[in-house]
Amino acid sequence: MPQDERQPADVPAPPAEVVASRPSRGFWAEAWVHFRRRKLAMTALFFVLALALVAIFSPMIAGTKPIICKYKGRIYFPAMAYFNPRWENEIFYRDKFRKRYPENLWEKDPESWAVWPLIYQDPYRRVAADEWPGRPGNPTGADGKPSRQNLFGTNQAGVDVLAQMVHGTRIALLVGFVATGIAAVIGITIGAIAGFMGGWVDIVLSRFIELVMCIPSLVLILALIALLDQPTIWHLMAVLGVTGWTGIARLTRGEFIKLSNAEFVTAARALGASRLRIMFRHILPNALAPVLVPITFGIAAAILTEAALSFLGFGAPPPNPSWGTLLNSGRENLQMWWLIVFPGTAIFLTVLAYNLIGEGIQEATDPRLREAGK
Amino acid sequence: MLNYILRRILIGAGTLLLITFVVFALVRNMPGSPLTLDLAEVDPGRRIREEDFERMKRAYGLDKPWPVAYVHWLGDLVQLDLGRSLYEKEPVTTVIGRRIGPTLLLSVASLMLMYALAVPLGLYSTVRSGKLDERTTSTVLYMFYSLPSFVAALLLLVFFSLKLQDTAFELPLRGMTSGSFAEMSFLGKIVDVLRHMLLPLICYTYGGLAYYSRFVKSNMEEVIRQDYIRTARAKGVHPFNVIVHHAFRNTLIPFVTMVGLMLPALLSGSVILEQIFSWPGMGQLFFQSISRRDYPTIMGLTLMFSFLVLLGQLLADVLYAVVDPRVTYS
Repeated sequence: MPQDERQPADVPAPPAEVVASRPSRGFWAEAWVHFRRRKLAMTALFFVLALALVAIFSPMIAGTKPIICKYKGRIYFPAMAYFNPRWENEIFYRDKFRKRYPENLWEKDPESWAVWPLIYQDPYRRVAADEWPGRPGNPTGADGKPSRQNLFGTNQAGVDVLAQMVHGTRIALLVGFVATGIAAVIGITIGAIAGFMGGWVDIVLSRFIELVMCIPSLVLILALIALLDQPTIWHLMAVLGVTGWTGIARLTRGEFIKLSNAEFVTAARALGASRLRIMFRHILPNALAPVLVPITFGIAAAILTEAALSFLGFGAPPPNPSWGTLLNSGRENLQMWWLIVFPGTAIFLTVLAYNLIGEGIQEATDPRLREAGK
Repeated sequence: MLNYILRRILIGAGTLLLITFVVFALVRNMPGSPLTLDLAEVDPGRRIREEDFERMKRAYGLDKPWPVAYVHWLGDLVQLDLGRSLYEKEPVTTVIGRRIGPTLLLSVASLMLMYALAVPLGLYSTVRSGKLDERTTSTVLYMFYSLPSFVAALLLLVFFSLKLQDTAFELPLRGMTSGSFAEMSFLGKIVDVLRHMLLPLICYTYGGLAYYSRFVKSNMEEVIRQDYIRTARAKGVHPFNVIVHHAFRNTLIPFVTMVGLMLPALLSGSVILEQIFSWPGMGQLFFQSISRRDYPTIMGLTLMFSFLVLLGQLLADVLYAVVDPRVTYS
């Protein structure tokens, strides 16, 4: 591969002295070298990084609030309100902006200036005519075909689809990371304890894992969501995390059983290391590589479940610009194909990317597969 | 072996008890009850009087606290009585029985189609491994595997409703039968159902197809390196026979476990696909019973699913020992 300047691992069988003369790479560095060779996995990684950038900069890409503006002698960042409504400076409430920034800024302070997002569209409401001088309002209903003004069209109520998707990226990525993060913590902890302690602890915990696996996940998720008074997207992430850890736990348990008989564990024991130390300092780093694979696939699964729940109408309550919510609105009116094709593609590509990354990690960290790949 | 099976059955019964207990607690503590949801639908002017409400609660067995109700439910279960659906006003077994047919029709057809396509595909990609055509096929299949079935279902619906409506390829988009189903001839009925099930069938099958052809391929790749394959090749066995008779037959063991784990999926249906295509199956029933807070139906379905999951796991382990003499459980 041309871009790989370092040569070692590529050369089939270097003479023994050469290998000995340079310090050997660590496990993760070695894995990274192998991961980098996989074009598809790298493309997927770049795609996810690009999505993360879109998510972080979503208010700067699509919005109706200035990224930065000077108003009555002070500098404000109104676009940050898209991250958290409470971050909107109260001066804009006091001066009765009513979410219409362009006209109000010019009217109420002729001296003001502002840097606007790339696309003047809002993910939560329809942009009306002349809100931005000279621009027509968004079309509603079946008239909202993709056009120059609304690249991905508008939904039934006239809200721009592209803006919703850009802001939906934030939800999709957050759901993936937070839900899987929670699942990973629960799964690794329970799996580690069950595998390391063995005996009746293992029996009890294994039954518990089995129990959670057997309960239909939809019942569990819907019941947990219903138990909350006003579910937000954060509750949804927590619920997905609390229900999605069983696979990780089973795998961790297996790895811990295998590794707790290894010599380095006996050595650590002989040195008088505490159980916790052995579990988390000695065994866990060695068990992490295989566990990382279901975690990556878990991110894809969490994104998928969130989209499916929103699609069924059980997601976070509106207005939330989730990709699944968009699909749901497209389901009623099939002739508005843009409500299905664009968010559907986004979900597909994101899930595909995470699956490819997971596969890449699997093949980069598993020496048997690594050999097979040559 | 018998000992092992008995132990597993005992453990399974315990797990089942726990699952039903947890689910019972969860559904009974969900806000809203079948009565209040019913009431929300009638117009507020005709509110039911307090004493009528209490009487209905008693009639439905909703007046007792849930642990007591659970014990009652268990007691009925021992007498093989799953109770009556609160919404359909019929025994739960009848309600479920009505839904099993449509779901089985789809899942069995999909399973057979999947195997019929996945095995040849898997063998093909083993033989052509690493060649351009195999790489392309595998990549396409992998993309299918990552395409969520509900997205595919919606895309198909859009395509068929916008592009193919009123053409020769027109297909019904929702439901299982046409409105005029009752007047059709026997053959006409079959054709009608087949036309209705085509789109859901595609959505059910393609994801598994990708998964299983990969599964076949990865199993084959292990076998094909064995010495006896080289021997067979060396003595001049036809390449086709090497692949099918010598190699593929030896990959059937993992397949057997797969079949056991498939069991629950055969009957559970897919909530989201059945919802999209308005297919009157188990998944739809499940979804409806949750949103209607139809406690007896939810419990009946939960019991059935978890029983099948446990049975499938047991079956997989037992079958594994049956087909592979190296595995014993003594």
